[in-house]
Amino acid sequence: MRHKLSGMIKIYYRYFYILFFAIIIFASTGKTFAQDIRLTATVDQNVLTINDQLKLTVTVYGTQDTAPPAFPNIDGFTLLFGPQISAQTRILNGDVSVSKGYTYVLQPTAKGRFTIGPSTVEYQGNIYSSDPITVEVVEITRSPASQTPDFEKLVFVELSTDKLEPYIYEQVVLSFKFYFQKGLPVSDIDYAAPATKNFMEEKLGDQRQYEEIRDGIIYNVLELRTALFPMVSGELTISPAKVTCNLIIRQRKDRRNTSPDSIFDDAFFDDFFSREQKRYPIERSTRSIHLTVKPLPEHGKPGDFKGAVGTYHMEVSTRAQQVKVGDPITLSMSVYGEGNIQTISEPVLILNNERDFKLYPAESHTQITNREELIRGRKMFSKVIEPQTTDVKFTPAIVFSFFDPRTGQYKTITKEPMPIIVEAGEQEVPIQLTFSSDKTLLLKQQPRILTHDILPIMTNISSLQEQGNRVYKNPFVIACLSIPSIAVIASFVITKNKERLQTDTGYARKKRAHAAVKRRLEGAQSILCQNRPAEFYSCLSKAVSDYLADKLNIPPASASEDRVGALLRQRGVGDDTIAEVSRCLIDLDHRRFSKEGGTEGERAHFLRLAEGLITKLEKQL
Amino acid sequence: MKIYLWVLVLCIIPFWDFGIQNAHCGSVKSEISSDDAIKLFTDANEKYLQATKDIAAKNLQEAEQKLKGAALQYEAIVGGGFKNGQIYYNLGNAYYRLGEFGKAILNYRKAERLIPRNADLHANLKLVKDLTEDKESSHGIPVAARRIFFWVFLLNQSELTIIAVSLYGVLMALLFVLISFRYAWLKRIITGFSACLFVVVISLAIKVYVEQCVNHGVIITTKCVVRYGPGEEYEPKFEIHSGAECIIEEERDNWYRVYVNVGVKQDTGSETGAEEKVSKDVRRGWLQKKHVDVI
Repeated sequence: MRHKLSGMIKIYYRYFYILFFAIIIFASTGKTFAQDIRLTATVDQNVLTINDQLKLTVTVYGTQDTAPPAFPNIDGFTLLFGPQISAQTRILNGDVSVSKGYTYVLQPTAKGRFTIGPSTVEYQGNIYSSDPITVEVVEITRSPASQTPDFEKLVFVELSTDKLEPYIYEQVVLSFKFYFQKGLPVSDIDYAAPATKNFMEEKLGDQRQYEEIRDGIIYNVLELRTALFPMVSGELTISPAKVTCNLIIRQRKDRRNTSPDSIFDDAFFDDFFSREQKRYPIERSTRSIHLTVKPLPEHGKPGDFKGAVGTYHMEVSTRAQQVKVGDPITLSMSVYGEGNIQTISEPVLILNNERDFKLYPAESHTQITNREELIRGRKMFSKVIEPQTTDVKFTPAIVFSFFDPRTGQYKTITKEPMPIIVEAGEQEVPIQLTFSSDKTLLLKQQPRILTHDILPIMTNISSLQEQGNRVYKNPFVIACLSIPSIAVIASFVITKNKERLQTDTGYARKKRAHAAVKRRLEGAQSILCQNRPAEFYSCLSKAVSDYLADKLNIPPASASEDRVGALLRQRGVGDDTIAEVSRCLIDLDHRRFSKEGGTEGERAHFLRLAEGLITKLEKQL
Repeated sequence: MKIYLWVLVLCIIPFWDFGIQNAHCGSVKSEISSDDAIKLFTDANEKYLQATKDIAAKNLQEAEQKLKGAALQYEAIVGGGFKNGQIYYNLGNAYYRLGEFGKAILNYRKAERLIPRNADLHANLKLVKDLTEDKESSHGIPVAARRIFFWVFLLNQSELTIIAVSLYGVLMALLFVLISFRYAWLKRIITGFSACLFVVVISLAIKVYVEQCVNHGVIITTKCVVRYGPGEEYEPKFEIHSGAECIIEEERDNWYRVYVNVGVKQDTGSETGAEEKVSKDVRRGWLQKKHVDVI
């Protein structure tokens, strides 16, 4: 029993401690809440039809113990129900933020543009008010089934710079903002950065994500920021940025199509089954930005100015206070501030007498210390100087000049010389400490003669031939290369032709027809003067009919004028020629079997007629 | 049917334009005769050898004069249009001994295109590269690729051309025999030769493109500032030194836009981001023509 009682006491103690610490935490943060109180009014849509309902949320940030805010003055709407109260406490990285929201559902009563007046709340004697919201109630233009969301309002992008007329090399912050309505599921976001030719760019921080109220609607904003440094003056353009994404819209099915007595027709199944998701691919582009980059003013430009633009400070230090002649002294010069840290040039050392010190090129190291709002950083220069005489009492003065774009003026930071004690060294000749990094100085003074390592020269005269002529550039070679190709192609064509002549009878007859007819016509020519008309006409008739039979690949006996005419027509020979052929064949047959042989002139005429006909056919077949 | 297609392709190959921009019709005649070239070469060699003796005897002034004289004579030979790997190699040696590493590397690279298998040349080139301030980055051709495609690196353009022409001649003869006599076994041999010819022609095309269509340059001044744009008004981006090699991408007035293939160090402001910043854009910039000589 005692055991049980002690256990209960322990539990009570535990609850007491939790309550005690909670009270302390909220008490300690209560002041903070009170300092950061604000009132916002938001709506779920600012363009709606008369059948829609408007959800108005008035939220008090910074405290939860206020009276409900005064309901704003609203024309054109009636209050359906509300307020629904929701309280929210968020602890993020130790920062506690509280808010209390009052949600009202309103029904429009008329068409037109209406302003929801500011809502007010009183807290600890102070009155806080929200911004007014303009809402438009429009006509119903589409059937509910074909309604699609107004993507222009749901998702949009903006590209902006913090200044439009910067100086050359001045830091310009380019900001790309991707807005999408709060609660809207967006996926597969793909960002194409704008082209920033003639700028040097540095990424500014990580992607920012926050909420912003526009026209009474809460948007989630993704912001990407880049620092740009224009490298040339004049009119420069930053091309548009693009973003593509998919919007996932849940759409309610038309319940009129479902059966009224369906067992699934209730709120539970409506949530899980009667809604479908649709993916809408969205592409948004910003406008391009035109900057007028001003050149740096010539007036007041210091002689040691080397192009640094920004707001800078300089620190100088050295460890060596007492050195010997020729000993190195390292001057640490640190230039820090806002601007293009990477391109800062080395500060200038002012020497009273150039023989006092030997100077070595400085080594530099750049460190970007802050990338959140602007590029801030530090460039450190380590410069080695060597005093050359014991008369030197101070290090050289150090000067750094830059152009401050905020004031539009050049500024010069001067660091006074630091006292040093230089004693006489053991060696009067200064030693070269940084031989490797200062080869260039030596090389400038005189050529270095290297006496080792490389292999000897080549002296083989027999192989000293011109190697510059490229074989493929020689037209003779190109021409020669074509000969084997031509020979191969020719042999190929000849061989194929031979094969075809052996295997393809029609082709062989066609090819040989002209040669055969020529031979026969020569035979007829020889008979012409011998006064043997029957033999002449027989020879001529055979020559023509055999020629036609060969050309048309038909037996010579079947080369009648009808068949020949039909076949020639099929091959596309003209009607005049066909008529001539028919007439010639008929005339020759007639003369062949006629007793009258005709005169020699007539026979010569027939011979010329046959020759002319064959020439015509040779062209057309 | 396949064999006919092969015949057609192989007949087209000799007339194929491989995009050789500089391949003007007609060979470049050297202005200097072969005898003059040999005489100048012998004289220059003599001067060089005397200079090496002077160096051994610590007569540096005389050695310098003789080396300059030898270099001038070698330059006169190649300036007269007489190109030979030996001359470029010896010229590289002369510049090396004069301490001009940039010009030494430039001439060794020119020699490498003509005598790519010369071991002395590679040894000297490596030595000079080791002495230069800017070290080559690791973006060169991988060793595995060099081993696999060894013929591209071991043969110069002329040698590859001769091999291609020989293969082409043999192939045409084989095709002629095949067409005339119809030996079936010849088809396999022809296929083998065709494949070889194809590989050699592609290799030659790549070599010609790399050596003639891509402008490679070497920094010949001791130090040179690479800027963001083509003008003194642009900010310096980084510095490169004598002997650094680059690819010339664009030419504008007295400026070249170059991509340097050396380890560029550029401050980025953050320790971790240093490596990722050394990207292609970081290595690219503009420099004055006087600092570069084209290989």
